[in-house]
This record gives sequence, C-alpha cells and structure tokens, in this order.
Amino acid sequence: MSKDKEVLYSELSQAVLEMDEERSVHISGEIVAEQYDAYEAVVHGLADGMDRAGRLFEEEEYFIPELLMCSDAMYAGLEVLKPHLKREESGGRKRVVIGVVEGDTHDIGKNLVKIMLETSGFDVYDLGRDISPQKFVDKAKEVGAEIIAVSTLMTTTMDAMAAVVQLLHEEKIKDKIRVMVGGGPISQSFADKIGADGYAANAAGAVRLAKKLAGGA
Amino acid sequence: MTADQMTPLERFSAYNRGDPIDRLPCVPIVGNAAARVIGARVSDFRGNGRLIASAQVAAYKLFGYDVIRVFTDLYTQAEAMGAKVHCPPDETAYLETPALTDTSEIDRLAPANPYRDGNLPGHLEAMKIALDQVGHEVSVTGAMTGPFTNASFLIGTEKLVRLTLKDPEKVHRLCEISLQTNLRYARAMMDIGCTPSLTDPMSSSMVISPGQFKEFSFPYLKRLIDFIHTRGKTVTLHICGKTSKIWGLMADAGADCLSIDNEADLLEAKQKVGGRVRIMGNVRPSEVMLQGTTGDVRAAVVACLRKAYDSPKGYIVASGCSLPTETPLRNIQAMLDTVREAGYPVNMEQLERGINHE
Repeated sequence: MSKDKEVLYSELSQAVLEMDEERSVHISGEIVAEQYDAYEAVVHGLADGMDRAGRLFEEEEYFIPELLMCSDAMYAGLEVLKPHLKREESGGRKRVVIGVVEGDTHDIGKNLVKIMLETSGFDVYDLGRDISPQKFVDKAKEVGAEIIAVSTLMTTTMDAMAAVVQLLHEEKIKDKIRVMVGGGPISQSFADKIGADGYAANAAGAVRLAKKLAGGA
Repeated sequence: MTADQMTPLERFSAYNRGDPIDRLPCVPIVGNAAARVIGARVSDFRGNGRLIASAQVAAYKLFGYDVIRVFTDLYTQAEAMGAKVHCPPDETAYLETPALTDTSEIDRLAPANPYRDGNLPGHLEAMKIALDQVGHEVSVTGAMTGPFTNASFLIGTEKLVRLTLKDPEKVHRLCEISLQTNLRYARAMMDIGCTPSLTDPMSSSMVISPGQFKEFSFPYLKRLIDFIHTRGKTVTLHICGKTSKIWGLMADAGADCLSIDNEADLLEAKQKVGGRVRIMGNVRPSEVMLQGTTGDVRAAVVACLRKAYDSPKGYIVASGCSLPTETPLRNIQAMLDTVREAGYPVNMEQLERGINHE
C-alpha cells in the first residue's frame, strides 16, 4: 500500500529535522520508488526540514552541532533524489558563487547557506574557504553568476569583502553581479559601507535575500 | 583630562578592597594591534618572544591601560600539539590543518611541553621580559585557549561539534588532553609570575547549546581555574558571542571576571551575575573601534559605563573581543581618555552632558 506523496515529504522533512540520516535515505528511496517528483521532495521535504531546523536555531533550541547533523541527513537524502531531478526543473536556475574570504577557514556558516541555496533552486558554485577577492570575481564571470555570496567569521578579514565589490566596479560588471555578505562580525551597516547589495544574519535570511537579489537582477 | 594617579596594580588592589581609585580600570584587548605601535609585522612575532614583549610593553606604555596580555593567535597550544597554522605576512595567523585527520588517531596525541613545543617557549619568553620590565606596576597575563576550543583545533571544528552528538566520549578525550596542555602551560606561566587569561570562543552559545557547554566545556574549565586559584591568581574568562545563558556556569567554573562580548548585554550581565563576579566589556571591536571615529568610541564607552559602572563586584571598561590589527591607535586612546574623563566615582550625568555638547 503506497503512501501519499505529501505524507512522504512530511516524513522526509521530519527525518532531516530529527537528524536521522538513515531515515532520510530510506524515505527518499520510497519517494523514488513511488516515482513521485524528486524536485518537490527536495523542496517540501529536505529543504523544509532544513528550514525548520534553521528556525529552531534562531530560537536557540538547536545549535551548530544539531544543524550540522540535520545537514548530514539532508545531504544523504539529496544523494538519493539527485539522479531523479528532472532537467528542465534544474534549467534556467540562478547561479551563485559562494566562498569564505581569504584569511578565514571557518566555513560552517557558508556550508549551511550553500545547502539552503541549493535546496531552494539555485546553482551554487562553492569556492571553499580562504578565497581571494579576485577568485570570487573570476569564477562569477566564468559561470555567469548573478550573485556572489561572501562569508567571514573573523573581524580580521572583513576588508577582503570590500575588495570584492571594488573589483566588480573596476571591471565594470557591478551592475550585473550582486554581492551579498554574511558572517559573525558582519552587519547591515558594514554591508552598506562597502557597497554590498545585501546582508543576511543567517542561512534562512540568506536564501530570502538571494531570491530578492536574483529576482531584481 | 587628569593624568593617572595610580599604577594599574595599585588601582586594581584599591578597587578590590573598595578603597578610592583615580579611575575605573580599562582594558582595550589590544592583541596584534600592538604590532602597529612599534611598526612590526604580525608574522615577525612568530617565535620571537623579545619582539612580542617589546610590542606589548610599548602599547601599554603608550596608552596606560590596565592589563598586558601576551597574545598572537588562538592556536598556540594546538600548534604545539601538532596542528598546522598558516601565517600571512601581516595578519593574524589562522588554523590550516587540525592536528588529527580522524578520531582513530587520538591516542597519538600528547600534551604539549610549554618549554619545548611550537611557539609556547617564545610566548613564555615574552611574558618573562614584560614582567621584568613593567611587572612591578602592571599585571602581565598570557592568552590561553580553553580546553573545548583547543579540542576543536585538534580535530577540526565541524568534526568536534558532530562528535558532541555522535560520540561524546571522544570529545571528552580531546578535551582532557587539551586540559593537560592547559595545566602544564598555566604552571609554566605562573612559575614566572604571569597569569593565564582564558579565551574560549567555541564554548559560545552561538556554537554549542548551554547543555553541551555544561557537559563538554564546563568541567575542564573548572579544573583549569581551580588549578590557577591554587596559586593565588584570579582568572578572567572570555567567551565570544551570546553567552547570557551560561554566565551562571562561567561563574560556577570559578571565573573571577567575565569578559562579555558585544553580542551580549552589559546591563543584563550586571543584573544576572554582577553580584558574583566582576564584569568587563563590551565596546564593539569592528563597528566602533576599527571603523568608528573617536567620537563614536567615546559614545560607546559612555553607553557601557551607563549600564555597568556600578556593577556590585566591579566593572572594567573593555572592548568586547580582541581588537582587529588595523584598529586606529587614536581610537584606543579615545577609550582611555573617556575612562579618565569619567574619573571615579563615575559621574554619569556630567559625562552624558559632554556628549550632547559635541
């Protein structure tokens, strides 16, 4: 007896929220077996679970360890669903280049934003950590990205963020590529000061911001 | 503006007794900004205790703040235990590779020998030189990374925080061996007359929950602080970010002074733990000290004073975290100037009028 797809999506969301990697794989397998839509399962199951985990994080019910375990469960499910995502649904997506600035190797925040963006329908090009301003710009040009997302957790590396915006101006492509910044020491006032297009305080906010920026680009 | 009438040691000892003082203690947490005072490059500090001492003593003499803290980065203990640290030419060093790639290697770890391993000998040398030069007038502390944070540098932060849920026993083993390094390093510091100053960013409630803090960080901090207390030293404990839910535990661990990050509120700190411990903080290191004007610094110091000048166990005007290397020296001066202007007892009304007339 097959389960209704909405029931499966909701169970998948719950498995992510409860950090249950095995269950996430199992339910994703059921969804594939039932030939339900994989993209819907990502959005209403996996991403929904991460979204709820993000809200628990904002409410200080969940902390970084829980969020990482949720993301492990999410990735495990994504591996199962990925081969079944239909081409046209992944076509025409907006592209984001993401990375942690030069001098900083803390990437928990960046990884979470990356996961949330991916499950929200963005194609994300992850440069990793300790990335020079020039590399952000070069990659964005290469892949035709609409958005560059730059993160840092350290006050010592904030100037590199301003350099990314500066480089885009120098290459006269600032009007084509939006820059969003985030991370512990960053604030809206800092984003304004360096001429970035937006600031997000957390991963869920980063997704909202990216959608807004991509829509307006 | 009145010049200081007391040395930092005289000021602290009078403040602790409840006797009159010339002004409140003030500690801009200068860190690598001291390099700019003597025109050195940050990477020149590597293994060069003499240069670290000369920068920190010069910065102390220039501003006249109340604690010298020998610091280059958070990784010195982990580095002495096998982690690899990347040193840009003129910026604060950062962790390149943790000491271990996998928890199966934990048995290979040994506590560091502070007289031999990594840059610990250089730091001890810096403390010794600073004490010889100005130890008669100011307390010299050595930055020390807390056991839980150091454990995160041994295995990698993401791995460690996953282990708190998946394999707690491994976390305890990493914290225990980190603690053994802490105890040896603390003993070496105190043998030359220096005091460890504890920093534990990964214990922040922006990283782990208060419950995880209690389980994985608190027991080791308490043992470390208990040991430091056996030598008659007082302990300042700094945890970055949001910490209001763990202030009680930080005090239970034995900390004499809590250094409050700018993500937390000083008024709340005073109300919650001000009756148990001294508090210090929390002018914003980046928005105010790095990017602000001297007027912004003055306003921020006055705002901190308004919240905490009358905290029952005492209050130290300070930055909320280590200052960025490029913090303008005039802003550090402005912090001290405002504390001198405030005098003691602090007259808030007069200070706030000063702001309005600018």
